[in-house]
Amino acid sequence: MKRLLSQSPRNLLFLFQVLGITLLLINKGRATDRLTLGIVAGLILVIYLSNYILTKISKGDNYIFLITTMLASIGIIMIYRINEGLGIKQLVWISMGIILFFFTYFIVKKIRIWEKLSYIYLIGAYFLFLITFIFGDKRHGAINWVNIGNFSFQPSEIIKVLLIFILSSYYSNKERWKEFNKYSSYYLMGIVYSFIALLFLQRDLGTAMLFYIIFAAIQFIYEDDRKLIFINIALIVVFGILGYLLFDHVKIRFQAWINPWRYIERQGYQITQSLFAIAEGGFFGKGLGLGHPDFIPVVYTDFIFSAICEEMGIFTGIGIIMLFMIFVYRGFKIAIAQRNEFYRILALGISILFGAQSFIILGGVIKMIPLTGLTLPFISYGGSSILSSFTALGILQVCSEEIKSKEELDEAGD
Amino acid sequence: MYNILALLFKYIFIIIIYLFIFSIIRLIYLDISGMKYQSLDDKAYLKLINRKDSLPFKIEEYYIIDKELTFGRHGDNDIVVKDPYVSKKHFKIVEDEDEYYLEDLGSSNGTYLNGDKIYDIVKLNDGDIIKAGQIEFLFVNRK
Repeated sequence: MKRLLSQSPRNLLFLFQVLGITLLLINKGRATDRLTLGIVAGLILVIYLSNYILTKISKGDNYIFLITTMLASIGIIMIYRINEGLGIKQLVWISMGIILFFFTYFIVKKIRIWEKLSYIYLIGAYFLFLITFIFGDKRHGAINWVNIGNFSFQPSEIIKVLLIFILSSYYSNKERWKEFNKYSSYYLMGIVYSFIALLFLQRDLGTAMLFYIIFAAIQFIYEDDRKLIFINIALIVVFGILGYLLFDHVKIRFQAWINPWRYIERQGYQITQSLFAIAEGGFFGKGLGLGHPDFIPVVYTDFIFSAICEEMGIFTGIGIIMLFMIFVYRGFKIAIAQRNEFYRILALGISILFGAQSFIILGGVIKMIPLTGLTLPFISYGGSSILSSFTALGILQVCSEEIKSKEELDEAGD
Repeated sequence: MYNILALLFKYIFIIIIYLFIFSIIRLIYLDISGMKYQSLDDKAYLKLINRKDSLPFKIEEYYIIDKELTFGRHGDNDIVVKDPYVSKKHFKIVEDEDEYYLEDLGSSNGTYLNGDKIYDIVKLNDGDIIKAGQIEFLFVNRK
């Protein structure tokens, strides 16, 4: 026991998972079927081994995967407690996510032409928007789901990774693009704004906000034409006010944020239930299985944080925020240490993506900023979200390593 | 029965999560403090004159000279640079009775001291500039 507790985070994670699962199995009472037990045991083993193997095969960062698997474990325990069926599905998604993480890691590492594919990313992004509009399905007020057969996914989860690739491939070759066309960064801004407008039409406000934050941050760091940054800020203010005046769903969100108690029966219902849940939990929580997180609508995706706060306490909530902060800190450190411009912007973009996404949804559920529907990366239930998050993590893992240029590789060859 | 367990476990969970965060922060701290911030006073060292980010290969800003220091493209050297104009074994600096001497190891593009190509062992003085390939070092010895 003492050795297990000795400061190795990998063992602590293992202990946390085992204890959590034990408690859940006792809670559910009756004998759980063997398949579920098998999946649980398998996943715990896979996570433990992955964390171990990663230190051997990757010369890069060892902490980001550790942090994300901790977040995912907290998420699984909570989702399984709220809904057994979804919990098992989430187990499968996380396992697939980890496989995808290693797959992305090897693909991105082996292939070296990523910075030259700007047009392909662009076409891919518009194509995904197109299929969203054709096959789109309305859920929770936003048209952002595509159903093909039994399989449904959220294209915007893929587009946000593509956006980071577009921005990286542009800004890492900005001299060449500027030579090609003097106003190329204006075109880039136009493209990003077209993405945001399309997301707005899908009523996916959270993702629109996320896209804007990623773009604004990378533009602020890499754009030489400083005038453009002010134009960007001015435009978003204008569009924000216009959006508020013209679209009812924006107005509703805003009013529900200013005073949810007045609209407690309808628009403010989610946010007030979330606040009740967080308040109910107190510092140490009600205890797993003893609260009522099912009072909150869509609790297992957007409002997972409130459920965690209710049953596991504000301290766990603060812990989650701290884990995200360490994660983003590692991401920025990876970006600073990376010498290859393309991978540096990529690492920066992915860190901003996770930081901003968790900020938007955490701020939303605690009524700090207007609530917009987004998943909490790695914790919330959802196939698309988990898979795209682990893909982005795989890319970040590649960025954390020293990327050798082609000449250096030839040199090492002889 | 379950309620008591759940109450107990919630404290354990919080403790584990914080231990986890603490252990990661500790590892990161060790990682950062492991970086070289040695004091350069009363030591002889080479300082890179080129801007570090203008060179397309890995190189450090400072190299402390301890008894002997070799420079070249091959992995056995103390300073390894992947500059194509640098030979496998390019030059070495040796200390002898508090004096430092520079010797070219038969490099193809030569080693330059203050702009002159060297052919023999030369004594180094504080402020000398050593050039090999694209790289320029300032020799500092303030003993």
